[in-house]
Amino acid sequence: MTAAMPGFRLVTPRSLAEALAARAADPLARFLAGGTDLLPAMARGLVEPETLIDIGMIAELAGIAVDGDRLRIGAATTLARLQADALVARHAPVLASAAATVAGPQHRTAATVGGNLCLDTRCVFYNQSQWWRRANGFCLKREGTVCHVAPTGTRCHAAFSGDLAPAAMVLDASVEIAGPGGRRIAKLCELYRDDGAAPLCLGDEELLVALHVPAASGWIADYAKSRVRGAIDFPLAGVAVALRRSGDTLAGLRVALTGTGSRPFRLAGTDAEIGHGVDDAALERLDKLVQKQVSPMRSTMTPAHYRRRVAAALTRRLVRRLFAEAAQPPMRGGGATAPQSEMKP
Amino acid sequence: MTGSARDHAIGRRLPLIDGPEKVTGAARYTADIAAPDALVGRILRSPHAHAEIVEVDVAAARALPGVAAVVTGADCDQTYGVLPIAMNEYPLARGRVRYRGEPVAAVAAVDAATAERAIGLIRFTARELPAYFSADAARAPGATPLHAGSPNNIQREVHHEFGDVTAGFAAAKLVREATYRCAEVTHAHIEPHAALARWDGERGQLTLWTVSQVPYYVHLMLARCLGVAESRIRVVKPFVGGGFGARTETLNFELVAALLARAANGAVKVELSREETALTHRGRPETEVRLKLGMAENGRVTAAACEVVQRGGAYAGYGIVTVLYAGALLHAIYDIAAVRYDGYRVYTNTPPCGAMRGHGTVNVRHAFECLMDEMAEALGLDPFAVRRANLLAAPCTTPNGAIVNSCGLAECLDRVERASAWRERRRQPAPGRGLGMACSHYVSGAAKPVHWTGEPHAVVNLKLDFDGSVTLLTGAADIGQGSSTVLAQVAAEVLGIAVERIRVIANDSAVTPKDNGSYSSRVTFMVGNAALDAAQKLRRRLIEAAARLLDADPAIVECGDEVFRVPGGQHEGLAFDAVVRAALGEAGPITTSGSFTVPVAYQGGKQRGGAVGATMGYSYAAQVVEVAVDQETGAIAVERVWVAHDCGRALNPLSVEGQVQGSVWMGMGQALSEETRYEDGLPLAANLLDYRVPTIQESPPIDVQIVESVDPNGPFGAKEAGEGSLAGFMPALANAVADAIGVRFLELPITPDKVLEALAKRRRELRLAAARGAA
Amino acid sequence: MKSILRLVLNGRTREDAVSDRSTLLDYLRAVAGLTGTKQGCDGGECGACTVLLDDAPVLACLTLARRCEGKRVETIEGLAPGGRLSRLQRAFHERLGTQCGFCTPGMIMASEALLRRNRNPSDAAIRDALSGNLCRCTGYVKIIESVKTSAAAEP
Ligand SMILES: Cc1cc2nc3c(=O)[nH]c(=O)nc-3n(C[C@H](O)[C@H](O)[C@H](O)COP(=O)(O)OP(=O)(O)OC[C@H]3O[C@@H](n4cnc5c(N)ncnc54)[C@H](O)[C@@H]3O)c2cc1C
Ligand code: SF4
Ligand code: FES
Ligand code: FES
Repeated sequence: MTAAMPGFRLVTPRSLAEALAARAADPLARFLAGGTDLLPAMARGLVEPETLIDIGMIAELAGIAVDGDRLRIGAATTLARLQADALVARHAPVLASAAATVAGPQHRTAATVGGNLCLDTRCVFYNQSQWWRRANGFCLKREGTVCHVAPTGTRCHAAFSGDLAPAAMVLDASVEIAGPGGRRIAKLCELYRDDGAAPLCLGDEELLVALHVPAASGWIADYAKSRVRGAIDFPLAGVAVALRRSGDTLAGLRVALTGTGSRPFRLAGTDAEIGHGVDDAALERLDKLVQKQVSPMRSTMTPAHYRRRVAAALTRRLVRRLFAEAAQPPMRGGGATAPQSEMKP
Repeated sequence: MTGSARDHAIGRRLPLIDGPEKVTGAARYTADIAAPDALVGRILRSPHAHAEIVEVDVAAARALPGVAAVVTGADCDQTYGVLPIAMNEYPLARGRVRYRGEPVAAVAAVDAATAERAIGLIRFTARELPAYFSADAARAPGATPLHAGSPNNIQREVHHEFGDVTAGFAAAKLVREATYRCAEVTHAHIEPHAALARWDGERGQLTLWTVSQVPYYVHLMLARCLGVAESRIRVVKPFVGGGFGARTETLNFELVAALLARAANGAVKVELSREETALTHRGRPETEVRLKLGMAENGRVTAAACEVVQRGGAYAGYGIVTVLYAGALLHAIYDIAAVRYDGYRVYTNTPPCGAMRGHGTVNVRHAFECLMDEMAEALGLDPFAVRRANLLAAPCTTPNGAIVNSCGLAECLDRVERASAWRERRRQPAPGRGLGMACSHYVSGAAKPVHWTGEPHAVVNLKLDFDGSVTLLTGAADIGQGSSTVLAQVAAEVLGIAVERIRVIANDSAVTPKDNGSYSSRVTFMVGNAALDAAQKLRRRLIEAAARLLDADPAIVECGDEVFRVPGGQHEGLAFDAVVRAALGEAGPITTSGSFTVPVAYQGGKQRGGAVGATMGYSYAAQVVEVAVDQETGAIAVERVWVAHDCGRALNPLSVEGQVQGSVWMGMGQALSEETRYEDGLPLAANLLDYRVPTIQESPPIDVQIVESVDPNGPFGAKEAGEGSLAGFMPALANAVADAIGVRFLELPITPDKVLEALAKRRRELRLAAARGAA
Repeated sequence: MKSILRLVLNGRTREDAVSDRSTLLDYLRAVAGLTGTKQGCDGGECGACTVLLDDAPVLACLTLARRCEGKRVETIEGLAPGGRLSRLQRAFHERLGTQCGFCTPGMIMASEALLRRNRNPSDAAIRDALSGNLCRCTGYVKIIESVKTSAAAEP
């Protein structure tokens, strides 16, 4: 039933090139970062790699540094480090506040930025033991032919449930990707696609190297998460908001969501609010926008309609609060919602 | 006995005597026991909810190198179960499987990987039968019976009526009825199930180490299922990581481990995964409670009528007792003259339910305290006033024949009302914040044991030896509740010695006397009384020896602080060791045996099933819960809890606090987040991520007030402390939520989605009403 | 595949042959024979297996043993070296921060990690630090008390 951990080989490359070579050499290899998502999945037979490539010893994937007009966060940076890092606190505190909501402290000691961004999607019919899934006839995402969430459909609706992605999205972050063909930079939003069975637009042999966060003068941002318990739980819905205020109106507004569908995404249509104040009518419009664009399905114990509503509620609340805070002079010492200062090399 | 100004062993905030082992990692739990030669046991479980077994082909598994034994239903044709009148479960399914996860076959192999491979090689063929996942579906006309003899899948119906219920309702100023639904919950003890079995082929003897709360039952069932004499079996309970009722019954994996060990002629360790632990279940059933109360203008309850339907799962287990308890514990908390109860225990194709902390009373108490609150509001009465209008006057006998000798509920009410500043706070309502209260009670041990042998209900042995140490031998299982500590305290108090002088050895059937185990909060009361008896006998021997040395009348010799003396006498007193030497001089080491039996008068009313719910001492509790409801997200935050618990004399106030806090908090889990759920019989939450045991983040401060009503029959006046306050939490919370947002929830758990849904519904209704008003 | 793992376990350097797939929990319990660290779930959900890796709290069940190469691992057994309870252990014992004791090793190690960073934690900091550790017995009230008592006690 629960299984002894399946057999695999562990390799520990010291450079990016070695890691990519190891990946190319074995089509059944997987990159291992913190392992807090991959190892439980392996224990349940959800992933059966023959080789694990430990990417924790690669210098290029480590560290947080200001690089020109952006913050560069190595993919192997742990969430605990993200929470405590001074540069992050100064330039992108929303990442720290999102990281603080992930799982529990022990997970965050090990869990990494890359692993969080590349998290597998989740579903109550999927994150179960081999015995359980077999008894249930498996499902589309793996080994089966039907989806128990939407039996008439042809795709998997498992939910992307990482907390970091929306926070990085409202900062307009990009990811640096290395692969057999070299390096590329992609907008974080473009890393994801709306398919629970294959949620990442990342080649099998590609590796996330770093997260790039551009300077964002005058923006203020935060992350809010809905979950049943005060810790451990994945988001039922997670909302990140970044906004800029000019006088009594919005000068910029970005909203991104997680947990409400198979991919994290930037809410479309928020630009329409620019130039307006944040009053009840504006919040109502945003509420509608969120409810329309999220697509939660019956993939959690908690009903989908709640996830839709609470996503909208958190958005309203966060926009209202940040707009009010943006009117105040910047606080000393940062804090999750402190306005971000300009980055200088 | 305790008059003098000496140090007392009871009434002290004594840390657990086995605490040092627990905080250093030295405590050995079943999975920790070193057995390098042990084979690894694994269990094949049914993927079907209800099916006829066609074939279990184990040939390939048996042939796999490294496999030492494979067993199936063919290896044991004996049923087992906790109630002698309702044993209908096999260790490994025979004929039929009745729930997804039911054990079908098991393997012992040299390592886990081999055992798992062997499990994968077993071919299990079965023919599906109609399966039922709700009590309604199982009871519907034409449903296929799960068990012969239960045509409508009703395992047991109970119909009790005491007093004139019709007249009671007629006399009421207000009559209300409501139906409450409580989701199934489970124990979720943090230690997963495990057992280690060792078969001695040479002697034909078995030793089993297991996580049991009642090793005695396991012993009986091992003998029955293995067909081995009880004398050839030894059951040992190492440290146990929580039980909460799950481990009261003998569980299938314990028997399977033994069957495997015998088949392999060696040792087999079976460690269940968290998922398997959840499948083994025995938790609190999904329950529908239809309750009708009549209330007079002053809040007095004139009559109660209650119908309870429990979705019991696939086997009998404790079912009959659970459904009887639910009715019996409508009584003995308030003074209600007319009570009707109709209870139905239903078989379904889900893992069997059983006993869980607050066994039987919890969901019914929830309904009762919620409806009482609602009716108080309707009559313009304060919730406290309504409870006070219905207090029992102990001593008394309830309509169903239970005897209540002590009741501190009135004081509990006073204490929490004051501690929570109830009156001031209720007068200043804040938006989204609310205060609610409720009461609850529980038994201090079932008056009649499940196995009616005529033997004493509890036995404790004490051994005093040349080294001056006292060894207390008990079969009562300490599962973290601190029973060994309390027994040591009782014995030390009687003997006038330091607790540290007493060593407790518990739960090794080769050494310790039989005990009926740790369930229904019986240990402090019953085993405590047996310890008291044993200690008194030992004390007598020591006093006699001391009297001889002091040349005094034994009647006036006392022992305190380990010194024997004649109060007011010339002699400075004799040290304990000196008296021990004198006492042992005659016949060597002294062993005394103490026992306790509940007198027949306390064993309940004459009605069928009347023994269930009867006890010698009821505990009482009242609590106030403060909540903040986030009306945008529907999240309920419990800000604070004040609880007062009447446990009679608190033998160890530290322990009492810990037990009460744990109970209240477990009620919080059931109220807010915990729920097993099945998808066609497959558990969706058989893990600790989806089964939402509260984390430290949302767990509130819990202020405990101890009320000591001092029971005439409890050891030093003590009653139970480990269960009684659980049942009050959920209704107190629901009442607090009603106070905060004006919505009364009829379903547990009250999750944020239900709150948002209800708020949206109310907004719609208000809009509609306004529109109607405008028209 | 097995290879030699060298680490410092509770202050002592050890070398053991360990297979690639061994978790730190397997290693501690089965190879090193230290059963104080518990397994309470099927992976990552309960915190019972918490140990310190270079002073930081990690879940032994989600840590591959081989990744501890050259590091310091501390378990509950390492906290009372002279046979005397550490301050934190004593506080858990005396304040009843432990009932059945099964969550206790993990709870104490997570608390130890906190106290090494923060000698005087607030209630909120204690809650944060222990939010990955489930306990089914205590309702956490006396666990918080235990950590606070230990923090307040003279060194
Ligand atoms: C009980 C529990 C609760 C949890 N709660 C939350 C929660 O609330 N919020 C949340 O966001 N997560 C949660 N998680 C999931 C997980 O702990 C985190 O998401 C964590 O950040 C994953 O990072 P990791 O480094 O451990 O990933 P790993 O497990 O190492 O990897 C995850 C996946 O990403 C791939 N990967 C890792 N790094 C890279 C890279 N650089 N390039 C390409 N692919 C890569 C891996 O191959 C793997 O497929 C929880 C996990 C558990 C067990
Ligand atoms: S959404 Fe459907 S296909 Fe995807 S994991 Fe869940 S059940 Fe499987
Ligand atoms: S054993 Fe539960 S988190 Fe490691
Ligand atoms: S003390 Fe039992 S789980 Fe915490």
